[in-house]
Amino acid sequence: MDTNDYIEIFLDESNEHLQAVNDQLLKLEKQSDDLSIVDEIFRSAHTLKGMAATMGYEDIASLTHNMENVLDKIRNSSLHVTTEVIDVTFTAVEALEEMVESIAGGNTGKKDVTDLIARLEAIENGKQPEESKEPVAAKEALESLDLDEYQLTVLDQAKEQGFEAYQMEVVLDEGCILKAARAYMVVEAVEQHGEIIKTSPTVEELEAGEVDRFSLIVLTKSPAADVKQSVHKVSEVESADISLYVAVKEEAAPATEEIAATTEEAQTEQKEETQKAVTSKTIRVNLERIDDLMNLFEEVVIDRSRLEDLASEIKNDALQETVEHMSRVSEDMQSLILTMRMVPVEQVFNRFPRMVRGLAKDLNKNLDLDIIGAETELDRTVIDEIGDPLVHLIRNSIDHGIESPEERKKAGKAEKGSLTLRAFHSGNHVFIEMEDDGAGINREKVAAKAIQNGVLTEAQLEKLSDQEVNELILASGFSTAETVSDISGRGVGLDVVKSKIESLGGKLSIESTQGKGSKFSIQLPLTLSILSTLLVDVSEEIYAIPLSSIIETLMLEEKEIMDAHGQRVIDFRGNIIPVVSLRKVFDVEESTTKDSSIQPIVVVKKGNKLTGILVDSFIGQKEVVLKSLGAYLKDVFAISGATILGDGRVALILDPNALVK
Amino acid sequence: MARILVTDDAAFMRMQLKDIVTKLGHEVVGEAENGQVSVEMYQELKPDLVTMDITMPEMNGVDALKEIKKVDPDAKVIMCSAMGQQGMVVEAIQAGAKDFIVKPFTADRINEALSKAL
Repeated sequence: MDTNDYIEIFLDESNEHLQAVNDQLLKLEKQSDDLSIVDEIFRSAHTLKGMAATMGYEDIASLTHNMENVLDKIRNSSLHVTTEVIDVTFTAVEALEEMVESIAGGNTGKKDVTDLIARLEAIENGKQPEESKEPVAAKEALESLDLDEYQLTVLDQAKEQGFEAYQMEVVLDEGCILKAARAYMVVEAVEQHGEIIKTSPTVEELEAGEVDRFSLIVLTKSPAADVKQSVHKVSEVESADISLYVAVKEEAAPATEEIAATTEEAQTEQKEETQKAVTSKTIRVNLERIDDLMNLFEEVVIDRSRLEDLASEIKNDALQETVEHMSRVSEDMQSLILTMRMVPVEQVFNRFPRMVRGLAKDLNKNLDLDIIGAETELDRTVIDEIGDPLVHLIRNSIDHGIESPEERKKAGKAEKGSLTLRAFHSGNHVFIEMEDDGAGINREKVAAKAIQNGVLTEAQLEKLSDQEVNELILASGFSTAETVSDISGRGVGLDVVKSKIESLGGKLSIESTQGKGSKFSIQLPLTLSILSTLLVDVSEEIYAIPLSSIIETLMLEEKEIMDAHGQRVIDFRGNIIPVVSLRKVFDVEESTTKDSSIQPIVVVKKGNKLTGILVDSFIGQKEVVLKSLGAYLKDVFAISGATILGDGRVALILDPNALVK
Repeated sequence: MARILVTDDAAFMRMQLKDIVTKLGHEVVGEAENGQVSVEMYQELKPDLVTMDITMPEMNGVDALKEIKKVDPDAKVIMCSAMGQQGMVVEAIQAGAKDFIVKPFTADRINEALSKAL
């Protein structure tokens, strides 16, 4: 059957289960005697196995199968949770993730897992008898069965009471997988008709699996055909031949067990602990559909502003009222669609515990990771992008921030470092903070490096605040780590992180106290596609400036703009701030009607730097839909996109950050 | 044509089973994502046959089977299992499961199981 239809849902569910395994494994490491956790892991591995096998991903299936064997042993308390078990299981999960990722990338999902499987098997403690037993005694099963004296006596007595003894030879389907269970079903079917006095191979061997043909002797009053038919009712039975039993020899053979007694063991299977988070009712919707919906809605927003313009021109009360109502409804709709796109930041965070664990091990550090506010929601697009920068920051913290246990001891700190990852909402922003109690940023080191790299002169350095020095580490090509380790400090530094975050419309700032630790905070916008902006006019052109970066708007007289060191500046509440003219930046033609000497200025901020932007006039505040400029116009200076206004004109959206020096 | 209730915690598996079962000319009247739901749906829908995954959250397949058997001793339940669950399968058979199928499923196998059970 064509499995392509399922691939998407397969990937989704696989990832969910892998995540669950990850989480539970970390939990298990802390509370290694909690078997309910093992159950959870087992279940996820199990589901994964089933799905992968169905999709034909043999490697995933066989790896999960071996994981399962190990977990099963733990579950039955015949194996204890050790660091080694956890380590190998983690490695296995990593391999699984790789394979699933490869499948997601359209590849085969194949990987050489023999080594891992061997390790799992080794842990499993000298192979599991159930899986590895040689196919037993297939040949002799076909021959006539021998009975011992006792059985012969039973046979004789039964015959006296009108029972017939039949010998039956059952062959199971080649593809039959759980042969023992199947054999059990056959035996059960036969027992409906009478008593089985002997099986070959023995019951124990049947139960061990891997026996695809066996014989049995049954005492029954039913006709042979009936017995045969019952057996054929069992699935996966290729053939079942029945004939009257003729005792050949009277030699003693190993006694058989009563079949019924053998099944007791199976009932000892543990009951599964059921403790799972209450799930709210959800449906899965492809993200593309929500994106499409958002795009359509954006079109509606454009039409809405067109309607608003028209209504105010026509001045029909009824029309205006309707348009206003529509505006309100569409605002609600907008927030609804936005929340649909929101996903908990957990999706990104939950891969960190394992990563931190691995890093700490590699780097010989001892630390705890605390995650707070994982349920904080963020736009899906932001979530997708924020992972890598966060990984980088965490690596940075563990590698350079947190000291080794010995150093920490010397510094009088607890040997175990702590790293806190915190997410929360505030206003129209989401903050993600990462705080460690490590060494903090070393001002001297950073300063020395900056001078060495020619970023600064000694004289300039004197004037810098600690804050400013800290931010130097965000400059490109900056790494203060003495040795470049595998983990971080490869030169692709924090500047990449910074520019990534800025490209998402966010900000990265650092607070650090030497010897006490550092805190990196990332401020991110809730959504990227609809912005509140101030529309301004420059000659005939309209520009939109995001409200989030505007501090204030001013009307100054031309003469209040001064020149200092070849730079035009203004006095803004006692501070001298530079001004730039949008007209000059974008080389807009001078408009013919330049009337007054009053100059409108928009003051924008970036971090704690301010800049005034000279425009011709303010138009007003407007919600606009951010559209990208398309593939041909990438990286246009100081422009982050464009939007279509109510009257159909196009306005460019400014990226004020680029204008702040 | 039989009315069938599909039970599996993986939506993926339910989808696949449903596909196969439908192609075999049966009707899937309900899908349950765990044993508990399956038991409830059984009472509500009274299907001709239930397919029951073994490893599931809330209530596992064997327990669900036992619950269903309490309500309706004649209920026809086919267990779905993966390799390595011999013990559970045997327990299920003892508890009255009609048959079992092993993942990965093949349409032939499901057809065989269904026609023998019905």
